[in-house]
Amino acid sequence: MKEKIQKINDYEWLLPKTAREGMKVDAKIIANKKILDNIEDDAIQQLTNVACLPGIVEPVIGLPDMHFGYGLPMGAVSAFDSEEGIISAGLCGFDINCGINSIRTNLTVNEVREKLKELVPALFNAIPCGVGSKGKLRLDYNELDDVMTHGVNWAVENGYGTKEDIKKTEENGCMSGADPSKVSDLAKKRGLPQLGTLGAGNHFLEIQKVSDIYDSNYAKKLGIIDEDQVLIMLHCGSRGFGHQIATDYLKIQEKAVKKYNIWLPDRQLACAPVNSKEGQDYYSAMKCAVNYSFTNRLVMTQWIRETFEKVFKKSWEDMDMQTVYGICHNIVKLEKIKGREYYIHRKGATRAFPDMPVLIAGTMGTASYICKGTELALDKTFGSSCHGSGRAMSRHAALKQFRGEKVSDELKEKGIVSKASNWKSFAEEAPGCYKDVEQVVDSVHNAGISLKVVRMKPLGVLKG
Amino acid sequence: MEKYKFIDDLTSDVMFEAYGSDLKELFENSALALFSIICEIKKVGEEKIIDVEVNGDSLEELMVNWLQELIALVDTDELFFSRFEIIEVNENNLKAKIYGEPISPEKAGVVVKGVTYYKLKLEKIKDNYKATISLDI
Repeated sequence: MKEKIQKINDYEWLLPKTAREGMKVDAKIIANKKILDNIEDDAIQQLTNVACLPGIVEPVIGLPDMHFGYGLPMGAVSAFDSEEGIISAGLCGFDINCGINSIRTNLTVNEVREKLKELVPALFNAIPCGVGSKGKLRLDYNELDDVMTHGVNWAVENGYGTKEDIKKTEENGCMSGADPSKVSDLAKKRGLPQLGTLGAGNHFLEIQKVSDIYDSNYAKKLGIIDEDQVLIMLHCGSRGFGHQIATDYLKIQEKAVKKYNIWLPDRQLACAPVNSKEGQDYYSAMKCAVNYSFTNRLVMTQWIRETFEKVFKKSWEDMDMQTVYGICHNIVKLEKIKGREYYIHRKGATRAFPDMPVLIAGTMGTASYICKGTELALDKTFGSSCHGSGRAMSRHAALKQFRGEKVSDELKEKGIVSKASNWKSFAEEAPGCYKDVEQVVDSVHNAGISLKVVRMKPLGVLKG
Repeated sequence: MEKYKFIDDLTSDVMFEAYGSDLKELFENSALALFSIICEIKKVGEEKIIDVEVNGDSLEELMVNWLQELIALVDTDELFFSRFEIIEVNENNLKAKIYGEPISPEKAGVVVKGVTYYKLKLEKIKDNYKATISLDI
């Protein structure tokens, strides 16, 4: 499929709808040549599959972090007409509202570095990490309903975070229209014990130092003023609650595909017409997981603050531990862009509306970025940008190539204190398993869809 | 006979093949492959016993529903499982007893988010069965 790609410029590539039969629209990839050359052909094929779906609006977007995924690559955006299109559980993926919160501090790198060996284990105790940890919160069904419908407002009412956090979260931390009656009992049962847990896989909590500021005016608005300032990044999602909602609706929508006679090039792209019951029920249930995930991140943010209070013997307010921004990168949203409404499916992709923060996670040994969205992103990518550096190697291959203990030692040599629930996590998430984040961020910056504001380097890493 | 084998196919996720001389063994070994990712099965005891029953429109669907049920049980009952005894299985229904112990960080592996349809296949080769299954991690 790659041979059919045409160059638009150094950072944009066109895969015309003539590339294969059934494509209704073109696909476009944002990447520099080096990244493009290393994208799997199967991932490009997946973009063309999405271009075949009903009501798809040109173009289907592949971002520089894209890699082969479930149905659609991670690092992709697809927009559907708000009347003629589809809503797809497959295109959103299993981890609904997987996302990132960035939290600032006024602590300097020297203040934090001398406490790191105390801080990292303390955080590990405060935040349940990995598949083996039990959550500290046990919701009842009424409370879970409140989390689903009120999102972070539930958290703030219950002492986790403040109204300032709400303002600094995408959708103000609560999508309206969430309907708990559309969520299965099994999903709810999985959600009860897991609020305030990190999970595993690529989810992490990282203590970072600002290494470069590219746009000091914008950084200042985010409360980032100093190259030695310490920030915190939290990456996780809606846990088993969201996984179950995705699983349930993949089945429901698979039946809908037959019912509405939709032709799918890949059964994993299960979907339903936007105005069908199966489409709207998913959308209402998905919003429950979105709100759960926003709440999950804010609950843990508060525990991070309390842990810093214990270690640094100051109040979190005195340490200025405010949310810089919280953003999702696995989501379906009805958004109006330049006068037209679309159901935008972002899978491993971040909203990048003009002058809004974009958070891009690197690996546990490499830099992460805060960027800002642009007008050009509205024109080119339905207001979207990349979400991370993107995997380049399978977990299986990683386990053969890396040893967890050695990965941890290498981080130590770089001055990074790390802790994971097991050594396997270190191997599977080794920096060498991912693309070069610098190339990825350069691609979105030079394509103009999000501009660099701040670069951060890791000081301490916790993995699930 | 080998019980299961991991295949290097998926960039972000995990694919395995499981084998069995009959359907019971195939479903048992598929569950073992799944739990070898979720926890260190060799260290997990068998003191908690749960009865499981799942249905499906086809054998493939039954396999997905079986593994999906087990993934959900890790969250709802907070257990790791190490032994799977299939009591009976046919094209549309499976009854099993599964054995495990409460989750603990010391024996943990990775969270499995879901069972996918990517290259999903159940086949009978001569007298043996083989399942190809991909998991979203």
